[in-house]
Amino acid sequence: MDVIGQGVKEGILLILSLDPELIQVTLLSLQVSLTALVAAGLLGIPAGTFLALKNFTGRKLILNIIYTLMGLPPVLAGLIVFLVLSNRGPLGEWQLLFTPSAMIIAQVLLGFPLVAGLSARAVMSQRQEVYDTAVMLGATRTQAVLSIIRESRMGIIAALTTAMGRLIAEVGAVMMVGGNIQGKTRVLTTSIVLETRMGHDSRALGIGIILLILAFMIMLLILKLEKRSFKDDSTIQIV
Amino acid sequence: MTVLFKLFDITKSYGERQVLNAEHLEIRAGNIHCLLGPNGSGKTTLLRVMALLTTNDTGDLEVLGEQVSWQPSQLLLLRRQMAMVTQSSFMFEGSVFYNVAYGLKARKKPKKEIQKRVQESLELLGMLDFIDAPARYLSGGETQKVAIARALAVRPRVLFLDEPTSNIDPSSSLEIEQYIKHINQQYSTTIVLITHNFFQARRLAQQTSMLWDGHIIEQGPTRDMFHNPQDPRTRRFIKGEY
Repeated sequence: MDVIGQGVKEGILLILSLDPELIQVTLLSLQVSLTALVAAGLLGIPAGTFLALKNFTGRKLILNIIYTLMGLPPVLAGLIVFLVLSNRGPLGEWQLLFTPSAMIIAQVLLGFPLVAGLSARAVMSQRQEVYDTAVMLGATRTQAVLSIIRESRMGIIAALTTAMGRLIAEVGAVMMVGGNIQGKTRVLTTSIVLETRMGHDSRALGIGIILLILAFMIMLLILKLEKRSFKDDSTIQIV
Repeated sequence: MTVLFKLFDITKSYGERQVLNAEHLEIRAGNIHCLLGPNGSGKTTLLRVMALLTTNDTGDLEVLGEQVSWQPSQLLLLRRQMAMVTQSSFMFEGSVFYNVAYGLKARKKPKKEIQKRVQESLELLGMLDFIDAPARYLSGGETQKVAIARALAVRPRVLFLDEPTSNIDPSSSLEIEQYIKHINQQYSTTIVLITHNFFQARRLAQQTSMLWDGHIIEQGPTRDMFHNPQDPRTRRFIKGEY
């Protein structure tokens, strides 16, 4: 109990101290996870929409693979990227291992299935009449598909929120391919592991609190965006 | 009079079940043409084939003077001369303005023209006060009026109405019938109307086709069909026995 109390206190002190190293670690956490989220979104939303709307042989198989990969263990994602980027791997000559770029790649691998899978579900839940209404009003196929995505945006934002939660909090992949190098690839989650290993439990907990606040702020931002675009959306009233 | 739709031996099946087998149908420009029949008689499938939303399995389909090839470019060109209102019209998330402007934005019309046409269309349907209201909060009757305004805004040559009044109360229903007549007379819009309400068909349509189990069993001027139905099934339907 004392450790937790001490941790909370240390967390507040850490935030107030504006420790340069901690700021750098926090900013890198944000940079890695947000870049990975944007990339996962840019790849995942079109991929999910395509899988939801296009009928072709192997579609179900691909969807099932994506659903399975939604639960991909971060350590395994890290290992795959590690093997690909290591000196003996196919992309070894790019020299990306133990850089933030490698961490972003690993996180995209984790975020993409989540965004693609959940976006596909969101688009699939739309009814035929969305497309019919759009084309009967003169929309081109592309315009009609964009309207379907627009109608699915509640689900797509939920997909991005879920992915962000997973990326900002994961440690296995970034540890594996980033190496937790001070000043270069150390992020909040790997700092927690390091501080715990060094016996600095309160400091680890303090960093954990910072991570929690950060995650909360990002979620708040996403939810605020969501609320702005859904101000006229009805919710189910339970009486 | 120009013929806008010519259908010969159009069939459609879902699995083993044939839902449509329309031997011959012509829809003339400027008319209100009613597709009448009981539930499951193939009216909606026939309408969807004409609106190019459902492909036919066999037969010849000529729409607005063109043999339908189902090429996306042709579909776009033909569909841009049509509009549709269904029994519970789908409203896009957003305001009434967003919905009524949708077709005009898709055609990349200038902002000023969009504004003007949206206002005109809503005014005609008595819905101008609702322009900024969220479209999904409207009542059934209001939704149908906005759907008609939305269809009207794109100035279609052909307006498909799939049971547009079946989900609303009788007084709103009569009001919408007046708008349908007005649109037909004012803009010479050809209207293809699906209904299972033969009183409505009689009030609105010049021509009627009676459907039964996917077949067109009788067609002609609406008045003749009601006064002197040729097919015993039409007679029984008119008497309310189905």
